[in-house]
Amino acid sequence: MSAVLHTDGLTVQFGGLKACNEISLDVNRGELLGLIGPNGAGKTTFINAITGFVPATGRVLFDDEEVLGWVPHRIAHRGLTRTWQSLELFGDISVRANLEVAATKLTPIKAVRDYFGSSQRVAARVDQTIDALEMHEVLNARPDDLSMGYRKLVGVARALVADSKLVLLDEPAAGLDRSETSWLAEKLRQVIDYGISVLLVDHDMGLVLNVCDRIHVIDFGKTIAIGTPEEIRTDEAVIGAYLGSSGGEEQ
Amino acid sequence: MSERVLTLTAMSSGYDNTAVVRDINLHVDRGEVVALLGPNGAGKTTTLGTISGIVKLMEGSVEVMGHAVPKLRKAHQVAQWGVAHVPEKRGLFFQLTVDENLKLAPGLTGPTDKAYDLFPALKPLKGQLAGTMSGGEQQMLALGRGLLSDPSLLMVDEMSLGLAPVIYEKLMPMVRQVADETNAGVLLVEQHTDLALAQSDRAYVLSHGDLVLEGSAADLLRDRHLIDAAYMGVEELDSDEEIDCPHCGKTVSTSATHCAFCDLALPENGA
Amino acid sequence: MEIYLQFILLGIGSGVVFAALALGLVLTHRASGVVNFAHGAIAMYVTYVYSSLKDDGAYPVPPLPNPFAIVEGILSWVGITVALPDFPTFIQMGDEWPWWAAMLGAVITAGVIGFLFHYLVFRVLRYQPPLAKVVSSVGLMLILQAAVVIRFSNRARNVESLLPNDGVDVLGTTVPMDRFILFGLMIAATTVLYLVYQKTKFGIMTRAAAENEQHATLLGISADSIAAVNWIVAAMLAGLVGILAAPITGLNPLNMTLFIIPALGAALVARFSSFWVAVWVGMGIGAGQSLLQIMEIRLDWIPDINLSQGLPLVVIVVAMMVRGQVLPSRGAVERGRLPLALPTRIRPRVMTVWLILMTWLLIWGPFEWRQATINTLIAAILAMSLVVVTGYVGQISLAQLSLAGIAAFMLSSLATDAGVPFPIAPLLAALVATFFGLIVAIPALRVRGASLAIMTLAAGVAIEVFLFKSDGWLAGDSPRRVADPSFLGIEFGPNSPFWFGDGKVPSPAFGLFVLLVLTGCFIAVIRLRQSMLGAQMLAVRANERAAAAAGVNVQGVKLAAFGISSFLAGIGGTLTAYKFGTYSMESFAILASLSLFAFSYLGGIATVAGAIYAGTLYQQGIGTLAFEKLFFDLGRYEAYLAGIFLVITALVQPQGIDVFDRRERRRIAWGFMVLWRRMTGNPDRTKPEWVTRIYPIYPKPQEAVAEAPEKVPAEVGEGGGGS
Repeated sequence: MSAVLHTDGLTVQFGGLKACNEISLDVNRGELLGLIGPNGAGKTTFINAITGFVPATGRVLFDDEEVLGWVPHRIAHRGLTRTWQSLELFGDISVRANLEVAATKLTPIKAVRDYFGSSQRVAARVDQTIDALEMHEVLNARPDDLSMGYRKLVGVARALVADSKLVLLDEPAAGLDRSETSWLAEKLRQVIDYGISVLLVDHDMGLVLNVCDRIHVIDFGKTIAIGTPEEIRTDEAVIGAYLGSSGGEEQ
Repeated sequence: MSERVLTLTAMSSGYDNTAVVRDINLHVDRGEVVALLGPNGAGKTTTLGTISGIVKLMEGSVEVMGHAVPKLRKAHQVAQWGVAHVPEKRGLFFQLTVDENLKLAPGLTGPTDKAYDLFPALKPLKGQLAGTMSGGEQQMLALGRGLLSDPSLLMVDEMSLGLAPVIYEKLMPMVRQVADETNAGVLLVEQHTDLALAQSDRAYVLSHGDLVLEGSAADLLRDRHLIDAAYMGVEELDSDEEIDCPHCGKTVSTSATHCAFCDLALPENGA
Repeated sequence: MEIYLQFILLGIGSGVVFAALALGLVLTHRASGVVNFAHGAIAMYVTYVYSSLKDDGAYPVPPLPNPFAIVEGILSWVGITVALPDFPTFIQMGDEWPWWAAMLGAVITAGVIGFLFHYLVFRVLRYQPPLAKVVSSVGLMLILQAAVVIRFSNRARNVESLLPNDGVDVLGTTVPMDRFILFGLMIAATTVLYLVYQKTKFGIMTRAAAENEQHATLLGISADSIAAVNWIVAAMLAGLVGILAAPITGLNPLNMTLFIIPALGAALVARFSSFWVAVWVGMGIGAGQSLLQIMEIRLDWIPDINLSQGLPLVVIVVAMMVRGQVLPSRGAVERGRLPLALPTRIRPRVMTVWLILMTWLLIWGPFEWRQATINTLIAAILAMSLVVVTGYVGQISLAQLSLAGIAAFMLSSLATDAGVPFPIAPLLAALVATFFGLIVAIPALRVRGASLAIMTLAAGVAIEVFLFKSDGWLAGDSPRRVADPSFLGIEFGPNSPFWFGDGKVPSPAFGLFVLLVLTGCFIAVIRLRQSMLGAQMLAVRANERAAAAAGVNVQGVKLAAFGISSFLAGIGGTLTAYKFGTYSMESFAILASLSLFAFSYLGGIATVAGAIYAGTLYQQGIGTLAFEKLFFDLGRYEAYLAGIFLVITALVQPQGIDVFDRRERRRIAWGFMVLWRRMTGNPDRTKPEWVTRIYPIYPKPQEAVAEAPEKVPAEVGEGGGGS
């Protein structure tokens, strides 16, 4: 099976409200898939559901294994990681330590061995990620002291460093200005070159159209289009949903 | 010349010392409907929040009804100057009844009947908790409460969000009506470009926190491709040239004012 | 059967106080999102004011700082004794006041206290994380309590009943009438408040602001003004009920202060929102306690484990377990942040100087200095236990001294009763404390913030009521003993012989032993901050969800932190036991736990060096002794000043002294440097590297990046200092 992530009828219900209604999609190995849709379509809830933060129904096959119902840290260890719209970096420790936390699967024994200084640190993987994203200069800074662009990059790096197979990016371009966005886009393309799959959720059509291999457009529980950026750019239904120039949006 | 109710001059604002919108110049006069357009995440809601005093003004000035916008702690004063802000999530109190929500309209002394006259559908729901109503009813309640206080400036954020077309197509013309009848200034934030432009006199388009386009609604409707470009980022992708940052040597786009890597100012037009 | 009914009805007396306090907790939480641990103390303070006015016509003036006291102290160095003017302690107004005038005066005082609490403290802390709010309300509680002790001493005070207490016959039993009047008044007050909050515009505005402050702001509602009114009402109600019920409950500085615990139980069941639930559960707890009391005496099948005192704790634990995160969120943004957990570097020079100083004090210092140094060192270890659990993981624990007490009493059982030899007995005792710490942690895993503070406070009281007051291995009600420790034939207890010094108690041998243990703990906790586990702890503190998404086992890390922290507390407890030789549960009372928490926050709760500062300032530590030697006897003012400094710390310098010191000395030096450059006409305004290093403490990214000459911001931890 070529899909690294396969969801089938994923539904999240808060009380009477369906925050995420029967989303079915596939992320193929090594591709950068964009997921777009209007505000309130449940994209962030979708990510929360896959990563174990909200209870959901349906099926989530990750790397041919059903991960629905797992606790979040187990899903992360399995190789499915994410970033947060609001960043949520660990503000008290250096950028490097941020990455080390994510790169380590700490068992009690490992924790004790590390404490007494006899365990092999995860340096290699951390260094690799740092090289890949060219972020040497900020390694020892605290995340709060960085510019927004760098903070977003640290968020992405933290998701990548855990030996991920698939990274879910939740609005990485939100809050960035244009030059920062195009810089981030370049970094994201580099990620793909390392063989990691990416699911990108963003409102910035420029970014999504520019970097994604394939784009999945949803609108309140239904898929309205799947295709390459060129196809999506000219898709009437998509333009309708996004610009409201013609119909296409139903509740 | 008609009275100006809102003036933003070189306004930058945001959260955690990070600007979300930068260098915005915008104004609203009495009796006109102004649309603030742009893709999601462009900074429209942040702009409204700054006008209401609940988002920190970082640079420039915001003048509402002749007053400078107050500090965060005194933000409640803005509503008392005659500004009604219907926020994105509608700003209702779900654990209060419809009538209690209406009673909270700023400056309201008399009965709440006016809101029921405007939206007769609310009348039978008077004693119901706002949290149990449908999206359309909630939007009516939010608008009704906003209008009860006879605002001089009405700001509505994403009226159409989560609503069926039949509903928002009925609600949208109301803002035009408000501007015409009460001579209030209206600032309308919308994702539905056509819908908003149809009711507006003028419009501004935000993208990535910058004001990229402004003009009369008629002009913008004629030149739709300009808006589409701002939304889809087409223009940006095509026309961006790159230069080397003089400070750190990395490649950045000419359209930026500051380097994405070192945050230092870039020379004008890549000169 | 009648006797049970009689006791149920008698219990309404204290039940009404619980109900009024619970109602006040609901009001103030709604108004400003604060769980006010000082609410019982307000009732207590106001009742003292009433009693003083009524009996003596004297209004107690809260202790105020008198600059002359320092002058007097300094003059006494050169042998001059003068009596400079001081603030009055009481304002005398006639002999006795009529009850209504005294009550009016007292209730107005309550209103002023409520307003000041809001205006000076909680309004300022609105956007701060729960830690700052909990710390402040604990500080206010210490202030009120200490103020009363300063003015009225620790003794119980007799308050004459205002209500008729003739017996009334009900269903074959006789109950004093005042219970029914109190009950009626409480129901009436609740009804009035309920109607006000349901029907009036003010009530609607309060509920709106509680549900979503930002939305309320957009409607022109000033959440500050609303909160002020609610605080005033809550404080007045507490004072009024305190005055009326004091003849029944008795009045001393401690009992009404601790009524906060049953009140918290009732407020929790009411989810800090329903008036009626809070009031009924509050009264129910009062009646239930009274009923259990008689049942324990009369019925053999009731286990003799202090159920009546334990009832509020059972209510709290059950409410937490059943409802999880029970504090409703208020839709207010937290903009503040927790104190920075800067790494403390081991700096050999500073540490050597410090060790030499400590060693010198411990060997050749006079008796009182040796004692103070030992107190400081033990307190520093106890403070470190809070650095781990509260500083590193952000979990508020108010039960640390109770855990220390477990180790202390266990030590006596092991070493004295069972004859277990030295290193094994204290280590085992500390492990037992760890075990109980983990038991506390398991329910605590589900809650955080102020809920966790309540939970751990309840746990502390539960340990006191169920373990220390029982007859088992952990009994602490009557004095317990432990002999001086000895290892391989060498004794090193407070009474052991030593080669140098004056040969009196406490022996330098014990002091050096404590110093050795502290140094070990110091290095161990610094190492923890640098280890992967430490990084994970700080990740959990920053954001639990993000940590989980990054593969951190959040529950596991929290458990580890609670475990390590309880072990450190246990070590501190065994040292305290050795220090005293004979000791009982007074040394490990819940109020002492609160005061330890206060000093730890003051010193800097998130850094290891902060724990050393905390120990230095701790009651009867080096700091106090030095102050008393230099200026004047602190005596009862110690707790009062601690409370005041604690609140000031939370308000203006939440980082605590350690980080304050690291930052401020650079800022001051930089200020002088700028001045010097101006005076010498040097146009250079670039900041040297040692100034830019302080930016991690002022996290303003834009400025930091723009002003720093290099393109990358300052590095972490180079602001490191401390001993």
